[in-house]
Amino acid sequence: MRRSFPIIVCFVFGMAMLIQFFVPSKLSRVAYDEITNWAQIIYAFALIVGVFGLLKYHSEKVVRKSGGWFFNLVTIASLIIMAVLGFAYGRGDSSPFMWIFNYMQAPMQASVFSLLAFFVASAAFRGFTARNAEAVLLLLSAVFIMFGIASVGNAIPPFSDIANWILMKPSMTARRGIFIGIGLGTIATSLRVILGVERTYLGKG
Amino acid sequence: MNFWLGIRHLDRRIIFLLMALGVAVPLLLKIGLPVRVTRDVSSVYDYIENLKEADVVLISYDHDTGTLPEMVPMSTAILRHLFLKNLKLVGMALRAEGNAIGRQAFKRVGDEFGKADGTDYVFLGYRPELTATILGLGTSIERVFPKDDRGVPVAEIPLMQNIHNYGDIALVISVSDDDTPVYWINYGNARYQVKVAPAVTAVMATTFFPFLNSSQIVGMIAGLKGAAEYERLIKRQGMASRGMDAQSIAHLVVIGFILAGNLAYFATRKRGM
Repeated sequence: MRRSFPIIVCFVFGMAMLIQFFVPSKLSRVAYDEITNWAQIIYAFALIVGVFGLLKYHSEKVVRKSGGWFFNLVTIASLIIMAVLGFAYGRGDSSPFMWIFNYMQAPMQASVFSLLAFFVASAAFRGFTARNAEAVLLLLSAVFIMFGIASVGNAIPPFSDIANWILMKPSMTARRGIFIGIGLGTIATSLRVILGVERTYLGKG
Repeated sequence: MNFWLGIRHLDRRIIFLLMALGVAVPLLLKIGLPVRVTRDVSSVYDYIENLKEADVVLISYDHDTGTLPEMVPMSTAILRHLFLKNLKLVGMALRAEGNAIGRQAFKRVGDEFGKADGTDYVFLGYRPELTATILGLGTSIERVFPKDDRGVPVAEIPLMQNIHNYGDIALVISVSDDDTPVYWINYGNARYQVKVAPAVTAVMATTFFPFLNSSQIVGMIAGLKGAAEYERLIKRQGMASRGMDAQSIAHLVVIGFILAGNLAYFATRKRGM
């Protein structure tokens, strides 16, 4: 029953959503509204489960004093502090919650993301070497795109045109292929899950 | 040590220093490099220009704080255009962090134009599970967002009296640093025919070219460059135009490194070093 009940639930709701899409009626619309409502509620509960999972994982590391345990402690403390501040003082523009968000979280995350520029420069210097034909193609594409997109190159028609051609022809063709593959894969996997063939989402046991 | 061998084994700290200078100097000197407006961006601008006063635009903040330097100039330029046109704005977020980012952006730019929360714009807040949220908005906004972000029931907000679902929304702009606009296209546009315009980070731009090519989106604003183009279109130069100088020079620095790396590679390879 532990394994068959989720499969039955999955089949019933999967088929219901599939059928309602092709059979417009008042009943199917009510079912559709209710199911999308439930999906949000279930997701909200999943967030709570996620928070407890996060706390459990990091608490164990702190208790065991495993490598880098101090950072696990910082994670737990940050989670608790933000939650307490949010509940106690609200999320208004001048609240302590927003102060931490604006002056600590946002600058720190943006700084980490900004470091990419430095690593990209270093990686480009060492990695974009014309060792073979494929590497030459990659190298030329990167140079034309970067130069064609940058203000200086963008003002020079041959460069901007070549950059545009790379983006709108080879790149878009590959992207379309990926999208079609994803679409077909999603349909196949969805059918396997709805029909109970694919059961890995149930986990072990 | 041989010069080219020295270049090949260049200390990464020198690379970082040159990159830092490439970013910082243009910001300090304000070079003002030219920005050419592309069709992708002008399509979004033209679409908004052709909207009637009091038409409703929904802006969804679907990004985190990590990409703020790229996203804030973009959303600011778009909001300025929308408020200039006296359009009615509905804001929401499909990312938890996007909630605070969007709410503050609405207030900051709204105050700039003397717009009032509740009558000129409303920020509904954050909802998890983007597929169910996007689909749910197609039947009833009030069902998905019974209250706005301040806790005011949507039924009591003057602006929301005539806004019930996608049928009352002229355009959805998803300000995003990932592929969330694909969900807006797949579920909002394909199912409910609401017009969608992604405003995304430069790195995500290629994801949306197929949708642009098939006219499933009205246009696209991508990266700091897209934001700078939009600033040029609304004739209000801001953070993006200044940032584009730094980004352009940074690109040239990277190209310089690539060329130097290759020259050093071939020079040392010939000599068997």
